[in-house]
Amino acid sequence: VAKTSLTSPPWPEVKLPDPGEEAKHHAEVVQKVNRMIAAGQYGRLFAVVHFASKQWKVTSEDLIMMDNVLEAECGDRIRMEKVLLVGADDFTLIGRPLLGKELVRVEATVIEKTESWPKINMRFWKKHNYQRKRIIRNPQTVLRINTIEIFPCLS
Amino acid sequence: RYVRQLQRLQLLFSPTSADSRGARQFVEEAALDFARQHPDVVVYISPRSIPAPLLVAEYLNGTVREELIASKTSEEIVQLATKLAGQSGLDIIRIRKPFHTDNPSIQGQWHPLTNKPSALTVQGPRLQPQ
Repeated sequence: VAKTSLTSPPWPEVKLPDPGEEAKHHAEVVQKVNRMIAAGQYGRLFAVVHFASKQWKVTSEDLIMMDNVLEAECGDRIRMEKVLLVGADDFTLIGRPLLGKELVRVEATVIEKTESWPKINMRFWKKHNYQRKRIIRNPQTVLRINTIEIFPCLS
Repeated sequence: RYVRQLQRLQLLFSPTSADSRGARQFVEEAALDFARQHPDVVVYISPRSIPAPLLVAEYLNGTVREELIASKTSEEIVQLATKLAGQSGLDIIRIRKPFHTDNPSIQGQWHPLTNKPSALTVQGPRLQPQ
């Protein structure tokens, strides 16, 4: 049959590699990353953490503010579970969707428990002599991420 | 490695006026407990003839916050004091970002030329690879 412009799809054809070779390549990469982690050859680590219904990209020594009240007192150390992603300069570990607790450890301390700035909640209807004004202050907590650690237990 | 930001709490009240009744009850009952629970805060109690009772909080960066405690019960004063003890001395204004990092990018900040092949390897209809 003659070849027209619609015989083959317009995207370039991709040849998938052999599954056995692919598995060997995967195992090699995993062992290399394990060795790198065990040797401690990574610089700064960053992590994506799911906390207070939000996802934060977090490094060590940085500040995060929640719009809620945590049950911990000021100065308590907190370990954050629910880590989605951990990365360094050369490699990243992506979880599906979470990473194991034996792999990553994210520690934070509660620094401050304040209230937000006074927000004004006002309702007004014109020509009806109706206005209500209310000042809202939300409690907030400030956390400081102390450390992010990884352990070489990949498989 | 946690340092409480509250330096001093000064409780100014008058021993006779009616609106500092809560302050007097707080001093009798809960002030010692509060001072023991927060050992790194200094609590000064000074009864003097003042028009309205005040709770003055000083923080490590020098900001001074005064709160009125007139006609408040002693539990409310305890709650106020714990709230002030948890705060730091920064101004309570609108903050633009709920996060702050000193090192925002680790793997290099993205610019529109990352992950793009360079002009030397592009194979176009007219461009020959050099």
